Amino acid sequence: MNLNTGKQVLTISNLCATVAGKDILKGVDLEIRAGEVHAIMGPNGSGKSTLAQVLAGREDYEVTAGSVSFDGVDMLALRPEERARAGFFLGFQYPVEIPGVNNAYLLKAALNAKRKAANLPEVDAYEFLALIKAKMKFMQMDESFLSRGVNEGFSGGEKKRNEILQMLILEPKLAVLDETDSGLDIDALKVVAAGVNSLRGGEHAIILITHYQRLLDYIEPDRVHVFAGGRIQKSGDKSLALELEDRGYDWVRGDRVA
Amino acid sequence: MNEPANKAATSAALRSFEASWRARPADGLAAMRGEAMQRFLALGLPTPRDESWRYTNLRAMAAMSFIDAPRIANGAVTAAPGESWIAGAGMSAIRILNGYPQLGAGADSGLAHVAVRSLRAVAESEPKVIAERHTAAAESEEGRWTLLNRALFVDGLHLRITGRVAGPILIVHAANCPDGSHAVHSRLIVETGPGAAATIIEHHLGAGGGTLLANRATEIDLAPGASIEHYRVFSGDERTTQFDSVDVRHGADSRCRQFTVVLGGALVRTDLRAHLGGIGAQHDSYALLAGRGARQIDCVNTIVHAAPRTTSNQTARAIGAGSSRVVFNSKVIVERGAAGAQSQQSSRGLLLSPNAELDTRPQLQIHEDDVKCAHGATTGRLDPDMLFYLLSRGIERSAAQSLLIYAFLDDVLTGIASMPTRRAIEDALVEELPDADLLRSFR
Ligand SMILES: Nc1ncnc2c1ncn2[C@@H]1O[C@H](COP(=O)(O)OP(=O)(O)OP(=O)(O)O)[C@@H](O)[C@H]1O
Ligand SMILES: [Mg+2]
Repeated sequence: MNLNTGKQVLTISNLCATVAGKDILKGVDLEIRAGEVHAIMGPNGSGKSTLAQVLAGREDYEVTAGSVSFDGVDMLALRPEERARAGFFLGFQYPVEIPGVNNAYLLKAALNAKRKAANLPEVDAYEFLALIKAKMKFMQMDESFLSRGVNEGFSGGEKKRNEILQMLILEPKLAVLDETDSGLDIDALKVVAAGVNSLRGGEHAIILITHYQRLLDYIEPDRVHVFAGGRIQKSGDKSLALELEDRGYDWVRGDRVA
Repeated sequence: MNEPANKAATSAALRSFEASWRARPADGLAAMRGEAMQRFLALGLPTPRDESWRYTNLRAMAAMSFIDAPRIANGAVTAAPGESWIAGAGMSAIRILNGYPQLGAGADSGLAHVAVRSLRAVAESEPKVIAERHTAAAESEEGRWTLLNRALFVDGLHLRITGRVAGPILIVHAANCPDGSHAVHSRLIVETGPGAAATIIEHHLGAGGGTLLANRATEIDLAPGASIEHYRVFSGDERTTQFDSVDVRHGADSRCRQFTVVLGGALVRTDLRAHLGGIGAQHDSYALLAGRGARQIDCVNTIVHAAPRTTSNQTARAIGAGSSRVVFNSKVIVERGAAGAQSQQSSRGLLLSPNAELDTRPQLQIHEDDVKCAHGATTGRLDPDMLFYLLSRGIERSAAQSLLIYAFLDDVLTGIASMPTRRAIEDALVEELPDADLLRSFR
């Protein structure tokens, strides 16, 4: 039983979306409160990343029905950059490489964009450096990553660490981490999990999209959702993840809940 | 008075050039001028049927009459528009106004290892130095504007570099013409001694008042082991037509890094010819072509490998906004006998508007077996995944776009060895892009 009484951060009701004329999201319902960690698991191609991208505001997807309320505002009415400044963060399944855009610069620009939206002054250069160094140490990232292009030439695991680093600097109200655990070795998985756990609690909420129970050994979820056929088919506590590991997804698909 | 050319001038522009030519003094250069003028008139103005002028139509120009830009006395410098924004500490600046260098008395640059003379002074005292020069440009049909420059130049600069020059030499090409259509044909000759090294920056400003045709030619002779970093930067108003030709002749183990940066002008045609005639010579060229508004940029490079173990690298980045049109046309020729030659071309275009046009044409002519040549050319739009990634981090859309444009130009900008020059070019570039404030902090 979930006794969390935190403030509602995200409310998704009957969200439907299409891409290239194809229905992908078919009535997603989800509620998350501050301080909670939710895991979303589900078969390949079921629409998990689509949900994440729709929440982030990607224009390729057309929302055809439903609503998303984020921290009390209509999230679908905001542009992607406004969502980010309002405290939404997407950790990409495939972070893109941007040669020529400096990694440290992006971090600073992102932080300042958020501060500006909150009517705060720009971060002091010295303070920023101290902050970023501390967070990088925590993520066990070499400082040389700062001077490189965004994700340029980063290994798969390094890109994922970089996503978490950005999350730690931006301290979002809601982070959706799309398969941030995929492709990580066991040490990196622990580092990433520690990063996520350090943000846990207080006013932050986190959605982990994952295929592996393994991640959930390190980050214990409050809720687990099974996503299949473009919607959440079943929800439960962490034992649901273990059950999925045993039984696969077929039984869930056959056993639709209304 | 010169003899009339035997081929009749067929357009207003040609007739006006011919009239200017007739007004040139019958001095030690008259024979050279006459020959060049006749060849120019025989070729006529280029039309789109000419291979290297396929993209640039000069029909409107043909109907115009040009008169020589007036000489402005030394004392009247303050009347000249547009200071160079490249000028900075540690640079020695020479201004060329309407084609006439404004040198101090005594013509001493005050710089160690550089002798600076006005070309007019050289023409008077040693006309042979000029008359006997042969440039690859003047011998090729594409070099017709160089022919016209040869026929009509009145003045310019002659630099003789004998050692390692400390700071950059900045040459500011300014124009100050009353209303009407004026032409400037000025010339720069750079001669180097063995092992000499210098950075030369030519900054071409716009005209201010009327319509200007600036037809300039630069010739750089590299002695064995000499090393020159040469920049030509075009900025300023949108009423100037620039024809600018740079010819580099390489001695053994000489090196040239050449930058062509176009940030202004209405029509800018740049030619670069590098002749790698000395064993082990290397030529690296960089082009940053910013098309905006209705600007037309036509950048044509010809690199000739004529000696063993020569190397050339070309890096071109073109952006097309508004209804601009940018052409990057590069040809590499490896002659028989140039064994071990290595050549690389990378040209990329970024299309920012559906009404802009970018054309890149890398060409290779290889007459030798033992060579390594590679080229790549791509043209695309801003990457939507990159853009969305930046947006998803809270960056404003216009700023994100500018960041990506800036990043696209990175390969050229990071190649600029002179830091003050790089800063100045970046600052000017930023002004051309949206969200200048944010970009200014981005380095
Ligand atoms: N731009 C697009 N054009 C066409 N089809 C798309 C597009 N984007 C996504 N799809 C389709 O939508 C479906 C859902 O994709 P999505 O990436 O959301 O799946 P997923 O649940 O994240 O899968 P995985 O576990 O493999 O990451 C897939 O069938 C995919 O092919
Ligand atoms: Mg996915």
